[in-house]
Amino acid sequence: MKRDKLRIVFRVEFITLTDNGKDINPRKFDRFVRVVSNLRNSGKDVIIVSSGAIALGLLKCKDKNNMIDENCLTDLQAVAAIGQAELIREYQKFFDEYNQIVAQVLYVSDINGNQERIENARNTFNTLLDMGIIPVVNENDAVSTIDIELNDNYPLAVRIAEITNSDIIIIKSENENEYLIIAKGAKQVIVVKNEIELYDKIKNINKIIVPEGKFPATLKELELLKN
Amino acid sequence: METTTLNYREVLKNKEKIVVKIGTSSLTFENGRLNFLRIEKIVNVLSTLRKQNKKVLLVTSGAIAVGAGRLGFVEKPKDLAKKQALAAIGQAELMKIYQKFFAEHGQSVAQVLLTKDVVTIPVRHQNAKKTLNKLLDLGIIPIINENDTISTYEIVFGDNDTLSAIVASLIDADLLIMFSDIDGLYTGDPRFDKNATLIKTVTKIDDNLIEKANGAGTSFSTGGMITKLAAAKICFEAGIDMVITNGKDPAIIFDILEAKEIGTHFHPLKN
Repeated sequence: MKRDKLRIVFRVEFITLTDNGKDINPRKFDRFVRVVSNLRNSGKDVIIVSSGAIALGLLKCKDKNNMIDENCLTDLQAVAAIGQAELIREYQKFFDEYNQIVAQVLYVSDINGNQERIENARNTFNTLLDMGIIPVVNENDAVSTIDIELNDNYPLAVRIAEITNSDIIIIKSENENEYLIIAKGAKQVIVVKNEIELYDKIKNINKIIVPEGKFPATLKELELLKN
Repeated sequence: METTTLNYREVLKNKEKIVVKIGTSSLTFENGRLNFLRIEKIVNVLSTLRKQNKKVLLVTSGAIAVGAGRLGFVEKPKDLAKKQALAAIGQAELMKIYQKFFAEHGQSVAQVLLTKDVVTIPVRHQNAKKTLNKLLDLGIIPIINENDTISTYEIVFGDNDTLSAIVASLIDADLLIMFSDIDGLYTGDPRFDKNATLIKTVTKIDDNLIEKANGAGTSFSTGGMITKLAAAKICFEAGIDMVITNGKDPAIIFDILEAKEIGTHFHPLKN
């Protein structure tokens, strides 16, 4: 399928939106949401892949500390069910200030290899994006455990980028205001130091996309492309 | 002679009371959606000017475009009543963004919606003048738009070009900076005419100049160069300097205030 719009998967780790994991930092959250809103307004398709269900769930359950064992998978999945609702509420709240609508998509890796379900997921994403909505994707931690075990949502971002036939993945770095950009099939990761640079680079990115190319499968592989 | 090679830019160094006018095309992407980065830049610049103790007023368009975005309209409607409805929705949204962004720099803003009555009805004129001056005394940045919901002048005619000049003369401003989607006034339409050159200084507005200004504009804004010259005329009558420049990088205001040759400078010569 030929699209004229650049399609972006924006991968964010919840911790980068907090005060060292303690609580949401409204200023950081707002900045991130503003960057995404501006990309969306400029006419790009943007999908967010965000962690945070467990972290927010744990924050929410502070007073129930003694009932939760953070090393117990079942406990964490229960916490994720609490936190995911909180997470999407935060996204709704912040995006509303920029006139954007978000949709929650919870991914389960069961659909890998199942063409019909992949097709369904792809259609859902296409419909949401065509409606101008920003999908916020997380692994369905309450029923699926891969993400929890890996403790890293980059592979999910790659999977979503493949399913949705996205052109680039942007990674919000641990360093504030820094972003990594990887175009499909590109041999090099672009590191930008601030948002202005981010918009500038994205404007010119069409040239380096290799349509039949792949994204680096893991963060390790991605690091190797950083020079 | 309507243009001159003489340079009067030095006068811009001492400007204290400044009206900045920003149009829809400078606030939005080509699809009409708000460009938050651009708004952030303009807010940043105006806040810096405030911190330098200058008095700053912002005349902004964009209400209809924002309203259209809010309701998911792909194209700006042509129906006047619908435009006015969108303006009512969008103006509130637009103010919310300005309030939020200015608050990040510790600045307070006020919304002032004007109609052309401020020119024609003396009581309205006095009231508007007093209100704006009071706001400036309080250190607040007035954010001004035409009251699109009940008035149709801007929608039909000028993307606030005229309004910004009216405001400048109303409060006896030192300078009006008008952000456009081109670098200033050209000898022809630079989009089609390769030989068109930027006019750096204008000291007199006559028919010849108005002819040069014909055309120019984008799909979401209604102001061309003609309405900017009309604004310049109002400024000249009030003895106010005006600069037309490209709104791409609002920080260019600092260069303008350092007398650098940017955009087109309209300088009223004293008789």
